[in-house]
Amino acid sequence: MDKLDLLYEGKGKKLYSTNDRDLLIAEFKDDLTAFNAQKRSQESGKGILNNEISTIIFGELSDSNITTHFVKKLNDRDMLVKRVSIIPIEVVVRNVATGSLTKRLGIPEGRELKNPIVEFYYKNDAMNDPIINDEHAVIMGLVDEVVELENLKTQARKINEILKPFFAKVGLRLIDFKLEFGKDKNENIILADEISPDSCRFWDSTTGEKLDKDRFRQDIGGVKVAYEEVKNRILTLQKVYKAIVNIYLKDGVLDSAGKAVNHALGSLGFGNSVNDVRIGRQIILKISANSKSDAEKQTQEMCESLLANTVIEDYNIEIING
Amino acid sequence: MAKRVAILQFPGTNCELDTQYAFKKLGCETEIVWHKNNKLPENIDLVVVPGGFSYGDYLRSGAIARFAPIMQDVANFAQNGGNVLGICNGFQILVEAHLLPGAMMRNENLHFISKQQYLKVENIDNKFLANLNIGEIIKAPIAHAEGKFFIDENGLSELKENNQIILRYCDATGELSNPNGSIESIAGICNRERNVFGLMPHPERAIETILGSTDGIRMLEGFLK
Repeated sequence: MDKLDLLYEGKGKKLYSTNDRDLLIAEFKDDLTAFNAQKRSQESGKGILNNEISTIIFGELSDSNITTHFVKKLNDRDMLVKRVSIIPIEVVVRNVATGSLTKRLGIPEGRELKNPIVEFYYKNDAMNDPIINDEHAVIMGLVDEVVELENLKTQARKINEILKPFFAKVGLRLIDFKLEFGKDKNENIILADEISPDSCRFWDSTTGEKLDKDRFRQDIGGVKVAYEEVKNRILTLQKVYKAIVNIYLKDGVLDSAGKAVNHALGSLGFGNSVNDVRIGRQIILKISANSKSDAEKQTQEMCESLLANTVIEDYNIEIING
Repeated sequence: MAKRVAILQFPGTNCELDTQYAFKKLGCETEIVWHKNNKLPENIDLVVVPGGFSYGDYLRSGAIARFAPIMQDVANFAQNGGNVLGICNGFQILVEAHLLPGAMMRNENLHFISKQQYLKVENIDNKFLANLNIGEIIKAPIAHAEGKFFIDENGLSELKENNQIILRYCDATGELSNPNGSIESIAGICNRERNVFGLMPHPERAIETILGSTDGIRMLEGFLK
């Protein structure tokens, strides 16, 4: 799939249209920005890391029935995503006090919050992304109905419940993170944007070392090394799945072997009950993948490019834990 | 100047020497090209993807050969207007490589068919069959288990609109007949640009009287002009 027109350029990504009006290509950039782009830099290769990390996280969320805009990773920098209209609210989930929570409210840095809290920020660079409450969001028309705000909070909390233990498994404390949602063509609110060390804070569970964009905000250095560390740690969570692929001739394409077997069954006295016989073939693959949905996507690509001849054959895929 | 013919060879190819023999007999320079090469030889006039059972026909005939290193250069060669001829398994490979439309399926009667077959020339507005006459009945051997050509309705009407059907199976009198269940008795086609050809019959096995037919010579000679 090729990039057509540049639709939007944000701080971390460019969005392009494709020849499918429901799909866009997100290109992950190397730019680093903080404090609403007042501080700027570049970190060569950062975009590649964020694309890879986001791909893994979206797959993990999809396995837990969170609908996201993610379709598939196309290459190092490009991700194919569903077209959504972005809700201009940054949804922030916090597990541990730091950053603005400490500065604004004086909650001691590093204090574990009793419950995760969800905050809304108005996504507007000119106004410095101000914090807003539910009533502001409604008055400003950022959502169509109040109930949509509840939807955002519920999804954000659920995502936190999935990601906190996910990162904990590889020694990463999920301090806080920012999400963006959008409405798809059926008006469903789904997770969009990215989930990466640009949008999350990670502290090493043992040493407390920061492994996210704070290294850039606070001039700690080693930004790329930290992002790489996050990627490498979550890659260790790869599992082996068994992909069972069934391939059979399309309806309407004569299956000579099936017909012969049908005849044979008829002559054995099964003619009254057997109406049709289709003979396919089964291919069983063992593949390492980051999530079930990742395994399924990989298998689907293999089917399209080699395993099935889609001119004459249909296929289905079942993924089970290997 | 003698025409230069590159003949591809995959593991399981078994018609490369017959094909070489035929083109040598016609005065061509020939070179057999191993599938692992990335590049075709320089200054060639024709690439032949010969018959056989490349990669043991595993998965589907031609499905794995399509990804052989040499195939990328064959695609480039075809894209630049070079002539490519796929015979039998070569036809299957070109279809799998999407250099020709449609798909190949097992013969309708599920048998391997090996016999002399009459063919009707359907189109001569192409290099390959330019020496023949429209409606002419010729003879060449067929030997295949997966030669049933299939294409969906849209694809079929495109083939017809662009006169891409070049050969059909028939009997001695020219009545269409169908040894393998191929859609509309199609035995050979070309691409829209008329430089990539595929057929199930073996013209290289119809070049001497003792073989039962010499019609293959007139077919292959089309590339020598």
